Amino acid sequence: CDKGFEQMNINPDASSTITPAYVFTKAQLDALNNSYYSTGVLASGGSIQHFATYKDVPAIGDKYYFQQGTYPYDFFQNGYPNAVNEISEVIRAVSTDASQVNLLSAARIWRVYTMHRITDLYGDIPYSDAAKGYTQNLFTPKYDTQQAIYADMLNELDQSVQAFDATKTTFGTADLIYGGNIDRWKKFANSLMLRLAMRMTKADPTSAQTWAKKAIAGGVITQDSDLAKINYLASGQDINKNPYALSMRNSDYSPGNGNDNIEGGKLARTFIDVLKNSADPRLNVIAVVWNGSTADTTTSLQRGMPNGLLVKPADFKTYSEPNPVTVLKLDAPVLVMTAAEVNLLLAEAAVRGWYSGDAATAYNTGVRSAMANWAQINATAGSISTAKVNAYLTKNPFPTSGSTDAKLAQIGSQLWVTLFPDEQEAFASWRRTGYPALTPVNVTGNITGGVIPRRLLYPPTEESVNNTQYSAAVARQGANLLTTRIWWDKQ
Amino acid sequence: QTLTGKVTNGADNTTLPGVTIVEKGSTKGTVTDSDGNYSLRLSSPQATVVLSYIGFVGQEIAVGGRSVLNVALKEDQTQLNEVVVTALGITKDKKALAYSVTEVKGSDFTQARETNVANALSGKIAGVNASGLSTGAGGSSRVIIRGNGSLNGNNQPLYVINGMPIDNTTPGGSPTTNGSGLNVDRGDGIGGINPDDIESISVLKGGTAAALYGSRAANGVILITTKKGRAQKGIGIDYNSTLMFDTPAVFPDFQYEYGQGDGGVKPTTQAQATNWGRRSWGTRMDGQPYVAFDGLEHPYSPQRNNIKNFYQTGSTFTNTVALNGGSENINFRFSLANVDNKSILPNSKFNRKIANLNVNAILSKRLSLETVAQYNLEQATNRPSAGDAPGNPNWAVYMVANTVDIRQLSPGYDANGRETQWNETPYASNSYFVVNRFQNNDTKNRFIGQANLKFNILDNLYVRGSVSRDFYNFRSVGVIPTGTVYTANAAGEYHEINSSVSETNSLLTVNYDAKFGKNLSLNAFVGGNKRIYSVNDTYIDGTQFIIPFFYSYTNLSSLTTRPVNQKTATNSIFASADLDYKGIAFLTVTGRQDWFSTLSPQNNSIFYPSIGGSFVLSQAAQLPAWISFAKVRASGAQVGGATPDPYILNQTYSMVQGGHDGRPLQQVTQSNGVNLVTNSSLRPLTSTTYELGLDMKFFRNRLGLDLTYYNRKTTDDIVRTSVSRATGYQDVLLNIGQVNNSGIEMLITGNPVKTRNFNWNVSYNLAYNKNEVVKLADGLNTIEVASSVGSWAFIHNAVGRPYGVIKGYTMVRDANNNVVYNTSTGYPQRSALTELGQGVPPLTMGLSNTFTYKNFSLDVLIDGKFGNKIFSTMDVYATRFGLQKSTLPGRESGLPVSGVTPEGTPYSATIPVSGLRLYYDNLKNYTDLFLYDGSFVKLRQVVLNYNVPAGVLKPLRIQGASISLVARNPLILFRNTDNFDPESSYTNSNAQGFEAFSLPRTRSMGVNLMVKF
Repeated sequence: CDKGFEQMNINPDASSTITPAYVFTKAQLDALNNSYYSTGVLASGGSIQHFATYKDVPAIGDKYYFQQGTYPYDFFQNGYPNAVNEISEVIRAVSTDASQVNLLSAARIWRVYTMHRITDLYGDIPYSDAAKGYTQNLFTPKYDTQQAIYADMLNELDQSVQAFDATKTTFGTADLIYGGNIDRWKKFANSLMLRLAMRMTKADPTSAQTWAKKAIAGGVITQDSDLAKINYLASGQDINKNPYALSMRNSDYSPGNGNDNIEGGKLARTFIDVLKNSADPRLNVIAVVWNGSTADTTTSLQRGMPNGLLVKPADFKTYSEPNPVTVLKLDAPVLVMTAAEVNLLLAEAAVRGWYSGDAATAYNTGVRSAMANWAQINATAGSISTAKVNAYLTKNPFPTSGSTDAKLAQIGSQLWVTLFPDEQEAFASWRRTGYPALTPVNVTGNITGGVIPRRLLYPPTEESVNNTQYSAAVARQGANLLTTRIWWDKQ
Repeated sequence: QTLTGKVTNGADNTTLPGVTIVEKGSTKGTVTDSDGNYSLRLSSPQATVVLSYIGFVGQEIAVGGRSVLNVALKEDQTQLNEVVVTALGITKDKKALAYSVTEVKGSDFTQARETNVANALSGKIAGVNASGLSTGAGGSSRVIIRGNGSLNGNNQPLYVINGMPIDNTTPGGSPTTNGSGLNVDRGDGIGGINPDDIESISVLKGGTAAALYGSRAANGVILITTKKGRAQKGIGIDYNSTLMFDTPAVFPDFQYEYGQGDGGVKPTTQAQATNWGRRSWGTRMDGQPYVAFDGLEHPYSPQRNNIKNFYQTGSTFTNTVALNGGSENINFRFSLANVDNKSILPNSKFNRKIANLNVNAILSKRLSLETVAQYNLEQATNRPSAGDAPGNPNWAVYMVANTVDIRQLSPGYDANGRETQWNETPYASNSYFVVNRFQNNDTKNRFIGQANLKFNILDNLYVRGSVSRDFYNFRSVGVIPTGTVYTANAAGEYHEINSSVSETNSLLTVNYDAKFGKNLSLNAFVGGNKRIYSVNDTYIDGTQFIIPFFYSYTNLSSLTTRPVNQKTATNSIFASADLDYKGIAFLTVTGRQDWFSTLSPQNNSIFYPSIGGSFVLSQAAQLPAWISFAKVRASGAQVGGATPDPYILNQTYSMVQGGHDGRPLQQVTQSNGVNLVTNSSLRPLTSTTYELGLDMKFFRNRLGLDLTYYNRKTTDDIVRTSVSRATGYQDVLLNIGQVNNSGIEMLITGNPVKTRNFNWNVSYNLAYNKNEVVKLADGLNTIEVASSVGSWAFIHNAVGRPYGVIKGYTMVRDANNNVVYNTSTGYPQRSALTELGQGVPPLTMGLSNTFTYKNFSLDVLIDGKFGNKIFSTMDVYATRFGLQKSTLPGRESGLPVSGVTPEGTPYSATIPVSGLRLYYDNLKNYTDLFLYDGSFVKLRQVVLNYNVPAGVLKPLRIQGASISLVARNPLILFRNTDNFDPESSYTNSNAQGFEAFSLPRTRSMGVNLMVKF
């Protein structure tokens, strides 16, 4: 009496088997396309005073307000079912076949990239139990300590690099970043290892040193030609467009007149002041002031809006906002890991004595790369002349003879500018280095007691549906507050 | 040969309208008119006629050549001939039933009409919890019989028309608790049945009654029998017309002392007035001019009439014409109905046209045919959205600052068509923009066809074959227009649903009747049913219209289409045997085996039995004279079920349309837009019911008592529940433990006054349901059913607790009940997530009174529900925005607060006036502050009816006419919610217990006219 039932139960619109390459491509896109506006701009960018808004609701980073919305949870909630689950599915599909080892290594590295972005925001997170809902029916995943997560991520990078085999097949064009180039994947993995190592400078300097040295020895991205990026298109589906640009346009800057910004956003005074005071030529690439319907990049016009405003300022229109042809360019690539960042980290490693190269050289190379990166975004509007770069380096020389703190301050502050618009990484970098020193706003009614946030909040659904594990994590790490410091951020 | 005559009540000689008279052995029949007169053409002067009438002893009379036959019927003291429709359309003697069945006559629905007939069940039947939704005339209903058995599967009953199931799904799914945009209720299947076509409704409450319907009957069955044609001279015409007017019934009790503003200051510029559009934190209202958000000066005075000013008087005009006729061997009834509704929400309309044809024919001596064909055309314009603020037209009406006249927001858009923003956030839509510019139109074409062929092989053996198909084609186009400020680039969104759904059932039964000796009779049948359910949907969703105001999906900058193609089948065989011993003792045994296409072949079949018996004490023994009737009944049954959705056994992968830059993209196949953990080991669920009942009548049937105790246990329930996103998935499908429902139902009927001219009937029903979630899956002790906007409250099913508890947060207090303050923020500490109350009322009741005086009758229905809690999202916002009366303290000189620090030392502070808004805003973190007792008692319905006397009608050649004045929901007699109607649910999903800015509940008044030619 059940004839034909099995056939009836086959979905005509789906495949019963995975094509790992197609899912890998999706996982690459999804790792970057995760709530950029709420997590990147509002929470991270607001906290480190790159962005400002006069409104209340979007002021999670600007004023440490949380009136409504899902801003502090979005990255967690969207991250796992998309990028994390997808990359885990890819790993599951290719891990049993030795001929697919290069696919496996690339996937493992990408999983580390995906997971570190989550733990850096929240601290302890489900890691070893993550994305096991289907494979193991594990529905209440435990939270691992961030320390354990870091240890495992570094091991994963190390093992993945070792496992690459040049004689075997790769993802090829399905790999949006390197088109399957193994050497570049190794550099990317080592650069990520360096980033993670440096993240531990406060919490575990010994391990930080060990891993930093290992990463550098393995070979990191020092040339712009090796940088990791994903290219996008100006049209097509939303997923085809630069997710940073798209979400900023959609959520705030679409009116394009400087006055009707939907969420009242502008570039922050702190950020613009730093760029102006240092005569940073990136100012004219990043920022515009609307003059009628013209986006004007003139230096003298640029001014940032103060954080912590409660009412729309009368001169709202005159504040700087992201440049529509660079920061908001839909077919610009997203830079995942750059030679600029790596060189600046090398400079810091040199200052700490973990790298034999010269700190000033690495710093200067980093700054030149950082300037050059904008030409990746827009070859004309983003192009910064060598003369301008030289002038900038002359005006802001690396303090070779200065104190260690002064050197670290210079590097940290440079990272704070260079990483823009990767606000999540900039937020992590700022929390670790403490540079530049930012003055928090302290507006009535804020939820941190006038302290800049140190992490984001676990989603309420975790307390609702994963209560035991959530409670254990909170008991261990500290209350689920914006002010609780995560492991690598311990003072 | 025509027979005429008059039928009277033998006890008092009053005439009896509506008595059925048929010629024995033919289909010829008629009913008496309002004066008790009848006229029937006989095939032979020697025919025998059979008279039957509920509550009276039936008679068979040989005509013997007479042309006039007056009959006096005798009241039936034991109500022996009261028959009800039971499973598979089989009529049974009520006293033979081993379970509780309640029948409601169709006429109960036609006078005080609800557009959705299911809503009219409210308060009428013990144990049936019918709640209309606040979603307007074309909206759905939610009917729960004897409590929620499934933790989050379908809990609504199966609807069956003339023995065959119909589809009751809501196209596009039910609205969600925190949805936005076009979060609308697009109506359900039962809403497409015309009340005027209904002869009667039988409610089979328990599994025992419904066991023959199998899996989907676990939640009870609502059997609808439609009206049939009758043989008569010429064509009979019935006309029924109703005109009802709706107005909002509940107005919030906000504060009108301090007006728009912030920090104790009123706006001084237009920009400020816009930014503070939803802040009533200003200074004391003084009536002086101030700059409002339109840039003009308005008096700083209370605006109490925003709801009256925004909403309009709604109306519903319903007309049904039915034609009846027929000859010896074939008769028909054809009806046309039109419902024209204008919502209280401007520009929102609903129209429903139904044509229904019922034909019965005797094809030969042994072969007869019954067919029904129904065609519906339902068109809805701009159905109202509920839930979160974006696109919800109701939101601003309530939340606009209390000195702002809502009409200042009109027309809602500027010269460029861009939405006029009235407050700081684009997500709180301008109500006028939504009603004037949003488009949200749907059309449903529905066809229901049934054919039923019966062949009498022998006099006591027949075969019956039935085929029925309920098919609809639905298209909904939702346009969030160019200029909507919360959409990307303010360029709008497009959402289209094309849906074709069909439910097809083929049924074959062989029935056998036999008598063994004098005292024992048997009725038995075996049969099989094949059900095929098919869904073919295309969802088209896109964003950003390229050419502004051109609303075609060819004009979108980003577009995705999503197919849903599903076919599921359930095959069943079943058998039933009824034994009757002398009309005193009855025994029913049934069994059914189902095979489900949606489960894996190892687990896809289940057999379940039922057994029941009843014993008529009053026949078997000599009882005191004041007991007219007494019966006890007991039954037990099991019903099995499976997941309604296919493709849930194994994970699959789907392509992402368009890929990226020449590379294909693939992802885990989603179910309703989220990742679902599929489960190949799902087993069928079972629902086991035991039921005991007592049915008694006293004092010559003037007083009746019907008592039922039931116990229903659902095991291996197939549940879709939210899980931690860290699993990589949002939802999981599981067989989950056990849920128990037990309860009592009581029905008391009385006829306290009965004289020649005046009659008073009263009926009171009461039901109490106790529900407990006994066990969930291993490692799970609670599952989340829904969460509110802002995650301020949750609905959970937790082990050891009743179904649907509300969870949330409170302020942390020390042992002495002092609030513990976080000294760095100055806010009270928030507790861990904790249970705060029950979302489903355990106790329900209804009281119905009918007074008849000569040609007048008055129906009064009161109903109530008790013991549940409601979390009010509106109250959260009203508190945050300073509208709530509870936000008055501190307005003049600040609010002193005191408690203790986390270390236990005393803490006190004064919140300055400038900080009041954020202090009160922060209260959203403490769920219990916004939790209300949802109990209520409502005057549900009042109908005053006048039957026009026959003497007046006769010269006009009118057989009968009546006119009624009708009021639906005229008064709430008791409630504990200050600012909203406790019946404010806006979804027919299992997420019950939240209030969130749905269309206001209405009170309806109108008039009904019925004429028979």
